[in-house]
Amino acid sequence: MNRNRRLPVLLAGAAGLVLAASACSSSGGRQEETATGADTPELTIAMITHEAPGDTFWDLVRAGAEDAAAKSGVTLEYFSDPEAARQATLIQAAVDKGVDGIAITLAKPDALQGAIDNAAAAGIPVVGFNAGIDHWQDAGLIEYFGTDETLAGEAFGERLDEVGAEKALCVIQEQGHVALETRCDSLGEAFEGESETLYVDGANMPEVRSGITAKLQEDADVDYVVTLGAPFAMTALDAVDDAGSDASVATFDTNADLVGAIEDGLVEWAVDQQPYLQGYLAVDGLWLYGTNGNVSGGGSEPVLTGPNFIDQDNIDSVAAYAENGTR
Amino acid sequence: MVTLTDTTEAAREERAPSEPVLELRGVGKTFGNIRALSGIDLKVGAGEVTCILGDNGAGKSTLIKIIAGLHAPTSGEYRVDGEPVAFTSPRQALDRGIATVYQDLALVPLMPVWRNFFLGSEIRTGFGPFRMLDVAGMRRVAEEELGKMGIDLPDIDAPVGNLSGGQRQVVAIARAVYFGARVLILDEPTAALGVKQSGVVLKYVNAARDAGLGVIFITHNPHHAFMVGDHFVVVKLGRTELDAPRSELTLEELTHHMAGGAELDALEHELKRGEGEGR
Amino acid sequence: MSQTLTMRTPGPGQGGSEKRERVGRRSPLRRFLARPEVGSLIGAVVVFAVFFAVAEPFRQAASFSTVLYASSTIGIMAVAVALLMIGGEFDLSAGVAVVTSALATAMFSYQFSLNIWAGAALALALALGIGFLNGWILVRTNLPSFLVTLSTFLMLQGLNIAVTKLVTGSVSTDNVSDMDGFASARAVFASSIPVGGVDVRITVLWWLLFAALATWVLMRTRVGNWIYAVGGNAESARAVGVPVKRVKIGLFMTVGFFAWFSGMHLLTAANGVQQSGEGVGNELLYIMAAVVGGCLLTGGYGTVVGAVIGAFIYGMTRQGIVYAGWDNNWIMFFVGAMLLLAVVINMWVRNQTSKR
Repeated sequence: MNRNRRLPVLLAGAAGLVLAASACSSSGGRQEETATGADTPELTIAMITHEAPGDTFWDLVRAGAEDAAAKSGVTLEYFSDPEAARQATLIQAAVDKGVDGIAITLAKPDALQGAIDNAAAAGIPVVGFNAGIDHWQDAGLIEYFGTDETLAGEAFGERLDEVGAEKALCVIQEQGHVALETRCDSLGEAFEGESETLYVDGANMPEVRSGITAKLQEDADVDYVVTLGAPFAMTALDAVDDAGSDASVATFDTNADLVGAIEDGLVEWAVDQQPYLQGYLAVDGLWLYGTNGNVSGGGSEPVLTGPNFIDQDNIDSVAAYAENGTR
Repeated sequence: MVTLTDTTEAAREERAPSEPVLELRGVGKTFGNIRALSGIDLKVGAGEVTCILGDNGAGKSTLIKIIAGLHAPTSGEYRVDGEPVAFTSPRQALDRGIATVYQDLALVPLMPVWRNFFLGSEIRTGFGPFRMLDVAGMRRVAEEELGKMGIDLPDIDAPVGNLSGGQRQVVAIARAVYFGARVLILDEPTAALGVKQSGVVLKYVNAARDAGLGVIFITHNPHHAFMVGDHFVVVKLGRTELDAPRSELTLEELTHHMAGGAELDALEHELKRGEGEGR
Repeated sequence: MSQTLTMRTPGPGQGGSEKRERVGRRSPLRRFLARPEVGSLIGAVVVFAVFFAVAEPFRQAASFSTVLYASSTIGIMAVAVALLMIGGEFDLSAGVAVVTSALATAMFSYQFSLNIWAGAALALALALGIGFLNGWILVRTNLPSFLVTLSTFLMLQGLNIAVTKLVTGSVSTDNVSDMDGFASARAVFASSIPVGGVDVRITVLWWLLFAALATWVLMRTRVGNWIYAVGGNAESARAVGVPVKRVKIGLFMTVGFFAWFSGMHLLTAANGVQQSGEGVGNELLYIMAAVVGGCLLTGGYGTVVGAVIGAFIYGMTRQGIVYAGWDNNWIMFFVGAMLLLAVVINMWVRNQTSKR
């Protein structure tokens, strides 16, 4: 009886503690950042992405954003939701809070338009990065930092021609993602050999592995496996082993593991869009706009952060930074 | 005990032997090669309690299903108000006033008493899409009807699951009576109940009888049967073992028949001998 | 035995001489506490108080409007899902069915060059059809709804992407925002209405309207009575003549209708473009809202008001964390903690009040 009565009270207490604890740690971080910041008015900037939690790519974006924030004395708040409607609500919440600037990824521009308009109406500058190179101007963003997925895909395709590839397998880890589709499509157009697209479920690594393995076993002509994210390149290496294939692996995007794999000659190259740079520039761009009225790219041109090839030739310079978690 | 029995016998005498509302003549039922019932005769008049007794597997439940309209008999005749009938669904039986209260009672434990009472036959007011439940009316009627059965629930909104087993039986019985039952078939209503709760149910069986209903009371407990019954049918292996009015029977005889008659004697003998050997 | 026999004498209506059976009378306070949504109401007050105290932006009317909006997008579906759950079933396909409806409206309108409303009517037929199929398979096979709707969930997830790609050549639909009827559809499904100086999203009003309507149906109509009965004990309901199968199919079709409505909001709020890969996981949020609101997972118990409060708790938690500036990665943890807390409180309150 007594136990029964105490249980919910205990749970409530525990939940309260956790709430309080997480509130403390976040404000602690903020104090530190202010301490090291430059001697300028403190800005609060919200970064709202379409990250599905748990992808290393976004760690690099956040690392860049946090470094830029710390350097400029900016309070950075990071939120994400892969569902477009909820990303829009997160933006709306930032508008309600009256932040000084908002950096967003424009992966699904139509769904975000209402919230972007509300930000404009509230006089809050919004910059785009990472996704939405074709839409940021129409959407009314002041500047954009990122790569052109079409350019990146084409560059990749041309590189495949250079090394004499004959059949490429383009592995898409998330069905229904526009940027990923663009990469594979434009790769296929630029590449003179044959290219085929394989869909796998990126949230389920064993399935990615078995999916690629099965495809390689079925089609022995594939001599290049192209992945669209660093973690999938590592899995593709295992799949190539499993299938007993002699296909090479090349990828879009990098992380620390992948840098090691390029060093070891396991992965041929990576087309890097420099996520750290995207996060850094987005925050810095807002800070410059807020403190000095600067507009990167003049408001009409995107600021490109890639495509940047990482291969055996330049891996040494990248490797050092990768250890810091910034490349 | 003697005096009490006398008064009840006297009360019974007052009721003129009525036309049977429900009558079975030589009813049998076979499932493929298996003969579940054969040659069953049964009569229930208004204001009479007919008890059907039998051991597990004796054919009681097949018999109920025939009366309730779930099964059609393969031989014999089923008459209601003197005319032969061939029910193809329980709904048809219900339309003729033959209501069955099954062991699970067809109550929804989480719902309030009054909602249960009117479930499937709700009273509504209003027109077209705005037809809504007459909540006040249903609550009042449910309370009144339960009151007539002598059960008084101060909280008609209490979920049925909060009532005692006996009270639940009574709600189910009161519901059947209110919705025009003339013959009430009670399937083992006391089987899962303790002594006190069984008493409550037996009291309402009586109340239903006194309200002029015919009652078919299925049980395997001869004590319960003898307290309320006017007529007793013992079924054994699908056949009528005993068919007698109360006046021709004592509780001891009934218990004896119920327990298996001659077989029981043999068993008793056997067990005694077994004890003897044990020593 | 003689004692029991004395009971024969007093007939009905003259029971004054005997003790009547009684169940304990409950005080008005206890009766209030016994309501299914009380636990969630307490939870809502606590969550509100926490964020009101720690998050300054949370106190502003405009922020509250955003909280209500976030709640309404889950809450509208939670109304239907709560009805279904009271009726004893789940619908795991509810999340993707919303997206299916939005995709269907956009594709029907664009491919056949129809007025948006005509496309929406076809999509409504499709959404109701999916609901009917769920219900029909359920009553025909007697499989648990978990399995039936898990199957339709997976099938719809695949169809959403595959058919969209097949029809439009892309993973999102063609833009329909310049087509006839879009403006009026947007006004109905995704506009804002100024209320006391604050813009309130129209979905909030729809949400409350649907909740009121569903509550009326549940508490004051015959169908509502049947929903409780079917969920509480389908066999008993059938025995007293409740058309169990029709009620269940109808409930799944109700979920279909609400999925269509939510899909129309998604499409019009996203300026006429719908992504095909979304909606996965939302079905659990709808179920969570209903359960937090006091609906029993096993059916037969709960209220729509509770599901409304459950969705509101979700909206407050989700947005409150943003307003408080806490780490985003914790959102789902807190939503889960709220769920656990609410379920435990509900159980505890129920145990306390059902004691006689």
